[in-house]
Amino acid sequence: MSTQSLTLAPAPRSEAAEQVRAEVREFLAAELAAGSFTTHVDTWLSGLDPAFSRKLGERGWLGMTWPRQYGGHGRTAMERYAVTEELLAAGAPVAAHWIADRQSGPALLRYGTEAQRRAILPRIAAGECFFVIGMSEPDSGSDLASIRTHAVRNADGDWVVNGAKVWTSNAHLSHYAITLVRTSPADPAARHAGMSQLLVDLSLPGITVNPIRILDGGHHFNEVVFDEVVVPGEMLLGEEGAGWHQVTTELAFERSGPERFLSTYPLLAAFARRVADTGDGAGVAALGRLSARLLALRQLSLRIAAALDRGELPDIPAALVKDMGTTFEADLIDEVRRVVDVPASLDSPDPLGRALAEAQLHAPGYTLRGGTNEILRGIVARGLGLR
Amino acid sequence: MSTDTDLVVETVRDILAAHEPFVLTGERAWDAGLWSALAEAGLTGVGLPEAAGGSGGELADAVAVVATLARGAAAVPVAEQLLVAGPAVLAADLTLPPVDEPLSISVDGVVTAAASDDGDGPGRWTLTGTATDVPWAGVAQHLVVLAGSAVGPVLALVDVAGRDVTRAANLAGEPRGSLVLDGVAASGALLTGAQAEELRARYAVARAVQLAAALEQVLAWTVQYAGERLQFGRPLAKFQAVQTELAEMAGEVTAVAALVDAAVQVLDRGGPLVPAAAAAKVRAGAAVEVVARLAHQVHGAIGFTQEYRLHHLTRRCWSWRDEGGTELAWSRVLGAGLLADGPDALWPALTRVV
Repeated sequence: MSTQSLTLAPAPRSEAAEQVRAEVREFLAAELAAGSFTTHVDTWLSGLDPAFSRKLGERGWLGMTWPRQYGGHGRTAMERYAVTEELLAAGAPVAAHWIADRQSGPALLRYGTEAQRRAILPRIAAGECFFVIGMSEPDSGSDLASIRTHAVRNADGDWVVNGAKVWTSNAHLSHYAITLVRTSPADPAARHAGMSQLLVDLSLPGITVNPIRILDGGHHFNEVVFDEVVVPGEMLLGEEGAGWHQVTTELAFERSGPERFLSTYPLLAAFARRVADTGDGAGVAALGRLSARLLALRQLSLRIAAALDRGELPDIPAALVKDMGTTFEADLIDEVRRVVDVPASLDSPDPLGRALAEAQLHAPGYTLRGGTNEILRGIVARGLGLR
Repeated sequence: MSTDTDLVVETVRDILAAHEPFVLTGERAWDAGLWSALAEAGLTGVGLPEAAGGSGGELADAVAVVATLARGAAAVPVAEQLLVAGPAVLAADLTLPPVDEPLSISVDGVVTAAASDDGDGPGRWTLTGTATDVPWAGVAQHLVVLAGSAVGPVLALVDVAGRDVTRAANLAGEPRGSLVLDGVAASGALLTGAQAEELRARYAVARAVQLAAALEQVLAWTVQYAGERLQFGRPLAKFQAVQTELAEMAGEVTAVAALVDAAVQVLDRGGPLVPAAAAAKVRAGAAVEVVARLAHQVHGAIGFTQEYRLHHLTRRCWSWRDEGGTELAWSRVLGAGLLADGPDALWPALTRVV
């Protein structure tokens, strides 16, 4: 094993990032004061507010790192990092644009045609075009290569898609799904071959979006059913047959962002308020202990963002951040419960009780979404040379 | 890492190769031969300015020396000398003792300093009391003591060569005894309260640097062992249950490496050290729990013996997490510090730590 592969160079200190951080803080304070949103846990899944996303787009805080000719702002990964972590820490409603800004836009930049980029990226950056991830299926979870949704070229060169995708967050309010489909029959000898990604307009005939409610009753997930859906031929993303390579690259990029350890940050903030009120020594120590964990995760995440910016692909540390970060998000609930005596309820008059309830009811998702922690540890094991 | 740092690390490794770690006892409490070799190569003065008698170089070089020695379970007081006591002596405008004579640091115990002259700055003091949990007590020839006085904390430098020591050792057998100071003359300087806290923070960073390096080595040894040890006809590393344990260890090691390095950067640029040191020490200490436990679990019974190498590092890790401030002590400091501007400013405070 090379332990060097686990060591990451420091992220550059950036004046520009601190500048935009201050701007975002000012904006969020004003929005909170005006009552345009209230703080919640896990808002990158559940905080759906297209108007808020448009406000971010107007301020240049979406598509930040993309080239200007596609509506982007040519800013650094460090600046984008500052913006995203400020939004998460405030528990702001960022779900509408989150996937498009984090993942779909960059995928279009890497693999899209010039026409696809010009048509779609400026709308994402404006906070007007939202995406869902079309990967998982009813029978394909961690074993993504077993997908059955397939696309066949018709006489016009268009793709006819049949199948179903699940856990598509906010498909009912989104515009496109980057959909992983089989474009050649499954070959047991080459499981990862024969898949492609299609840019599917969710308003096409033959698409049905059925809600799937999560534990708190919230409607974020959907099942998207494709019944003889005709997708124009030019909506292939990247290369036919290269779908597996494209999605695994995409997943490596989405693993290490601050949303992998800040989903429950509003709970930590509520806990800190309680500790400050009571002055409880055990609470102060717990706050310190939890903050040290958070700071290590943040430092790793920042360093990975800087490495990605340099064109490196630190996939092992990225998998580690997601494993440890999502574990932290859920541990926070238990750690808080050990030192404060507050029952969790969505109807609690106590903000800490409500934050505990929101965090608890969303907790099973933290260590599943974007690749389960078991899968991530497999990736790490491979990186350690064990597989 | 710069080329200079690489060169320093290579030199330390070469020297270490000729000095295997051994079980420390009261009779053989440190590796005097290793110390001599390091001193001869100028490595006991790295990061300390040449003008003061050091070998020059950057903080990064000193950190690299300390980390490399920690990986090798080297029984020498280099972390104390290069990262804590040496810089503290220089910051206080005191005279650095010759760098080939071990210099250690005592921040625990009850020692009172009384001024022997009227000066506020560097001057002469008389020390009375007991310095406890002194790293390398009985080995160190010079000791930096953080003492109290009627006018505030005092950083005192004492010649302790040949003084009586009440022996005690940490879990790894490293000397951590007590020294009675009964009216001992010392040079010293008044510190502000903040400077005294920074000194404790430096000590915490030094132990955190050692922990980060040792934990990384424990992971490397465990990965290696899992690849070599055959059971049920295949290497342990091929069992998914073992892979999961090693992945968990790798996570801890990676997190600690990043945060400790960030704290070193804060030290290097002269930023507010206390919160950064607190976070690094808490996180490194917490990682010991996981990494040492799983390392022993994967190694099985052989790792539980003195004949096998693993204990040289796991026992040190179990001690180093206590020394320089436990996780609990630094958690309190970090928690209180983060709330200093009120709980609504928690997030801004967090983003300023490292």
